[in-house]
Amino acid sequence: MNALVKAEFRRLSATRLPLWALLAAVVLGGGMVGAMTLVGPENFDPPAPGLDTEAGVRSVLGMLSFTVFLPAALGTLAMTSEYRHRTATHTFLHAPRRRRVLTAKLVAYGVAGLLYGLVLTGTAAAAFFGGVAVRGVTPGMASGEVLGLLVRPAVAMAVYTLLGVAAGALIRHQVAALAVVVGYLYAGEYLLMMIPGVKLLYPLLPGGATASLTGFSYVADTMAAELATGPVPLLSPVGGALLLAGYALVAAFVAVLVPMRRDVH
Amino acid sequence: MSGRPQGPHIEVSGLTKRYGAVRAVDDLSFTVRPGVVTGFLGPNGAGKSTTMRMILGLVAPTSGTATIGGRRYVDLPRPSATVGAVLDASAVHPGHSARDHLHIYRTMGGHPADRVDELLTRLGLAEVADRPTRTFSTGMRQRLSLATALLGDPRVLLLDEPGNGLDPEGIAWLRALLRGLAAEGRTVLISSHVLSEVQQIVEDVVVIRKGRLVAAGPLAEIERSSPGTVLVRSPDAAELRAALLRGTARDGVADRVDLMADGSLRVYGMADRAVADLAAAERLRVHGLTAEAGLERLFLRLAGDDGAGGHDRPRAATDEKAARR
Repeated sequence: MNALVKAEFRRLSATRLPLWALLAAVVLGGGMVGAMTLVGPENFDPPAPGLDTEAGVRSVLGMLSFTVFLPAALGTLAMTSEYRHRTATHTFLHAPRRRRVLTAKLVAYGVAGLLYGLVLTGTAAAAFFGGVAVRGVTPGMASGEVLGLLVRPAVAMAVYTLLGVAAGALIRHQVAALAVVVGYLYAGEYLLMMIPGVKLLYPLLPGGATASLTGFSYVADTMAAELATGPVPLLSPVGGALLLAGYALVAAFVAVLVPMRRDVH
Repeated sequence: MSGRPQGPHIEVSGLTKRYGAVRAVDDLSFTVRPGVVTGFLGPNGAGKSTTMRMILGLVAPTSGTATIGGRRYVDLPRPSATVGAVLDASAVHPGHSARDHLHIYRTMGGHPADRVDELLTRLGLAEVADRPTRTFSTGMRQRLSLATALLGDPRVLLLDEPGNGLDPEGIAWLRALLRGLAAEGRTVLISSHVLSEVQQIVEDVVVIRKGRLVAAGPLAEIERSSPGTVLVRSPDAAELRAALLRGTARDGVADRVDLMADGSLRVYGMADRAVADLAAAERLRVHGLTAEAGLERLFLRLAGDDGAGGHDRPRAATDEKAARR
């Protein structure tokens, strides 16, 4: 098992992909949060509460959760690239117990996703504290609390990587898997919300669980405003975290079970 | 085989694979013995690749079993140290170098790290080891595929059409390599749709067609049981045919002489020298004379039956599977 995990890390690091992913984490984390901190939410259009309020800090840091599509997309590559380049043949010849291969991929990609999340939120924290110092603003949240808030999207990134791995194991075609995963995260969940009644399920969907985990309820709030209904109550952060972990578990289960009987040509 | 370490037998029993109504492999049974190269022959689409992939646990059989040393591939304690397979030369990530590729599978199989450099050198890839494989020629990919199969120093080797896409030089290289591997006492099963490609190196053959077994056993025995023929081109075909069937005391007599569509004659039951001598004695002109081995006849007939209608020769040795991609 250990050998398989090592092999997966070796496979990951043999391409330039990790380099691009790190670059993306720095740009989306440090870059995006830094820019928003320097501009200040009070100067957004429409204006939002400033960084001297708790809501302002949450709204800037919460933007990070919009980038979950990236680790999810990277996760889909774990299996789809094996089928696309037909290396699944070599892989299942060297490790015919496919369950172990998938488990090794989940471990390797889970760790990689967490690293991605830590770089993303680490650079975001640096940019945030740097930004408020430059502007001379006292954040509306204690530093410890800010860091605590930032751990959550880091964990969410790891979970979405695993969701991606599972989706890729189910949908073996690389482009199709990418389209489904990114499409769902970008539009699918919001489209679902338009169906009357379904929006009550929102807290239970991955997006809703992520929102309750990260404490960033932009989608739910917008939805409530646009549909002129009452706000959709989200789960507690712990509830969201547990639900997200549940999704990751189901995803892992699916990823491990699905490729078992499929023929590899 | 004395003194050679004996590899395990490959045992295929009642193996069947159905895709909907199509039986790609149909109740196939044969044994591959250790210590010799066995040719796995049949026209394109006969079910060779599917059979090999079932032996290796990549494709699940509809029914029947395939075992290596009595165990299913998936149940082997260290599969890649027992069996090496060359199935698909293009199965490599284009962004990985040959060295990366080998290290990934070497790690997976738990083989020592110095195997990688050893194989890169042995297969002539040392110079290009750090180039991304997207820059590789077909021959280089085929070598990399072989290197991957040899990582665990397996005693059994399965090769699916390894000559595809290789130039004559590459095929000569491959033959020399496989001969060497067999001489080291390994069991080698090599599939091909071109008999002549493997004829020089195989001792046993398994011939299949439309997923069914046609012939299996030592090549020499099969050739004895399906005797050779002689193909003669002559402008005096009719006279020559009559003379061959009449026969002479010195050269003997033909069992049967067929007049082919292109005007040539196929002679059964006479050696090529006897046919030539008889023609000379009868003062009949001979423009061409080819001795055909029995197995080759059998094989040509099989290949010809599959849509090549009337042309009594194998279809061009193109890589249909590569073209499909």
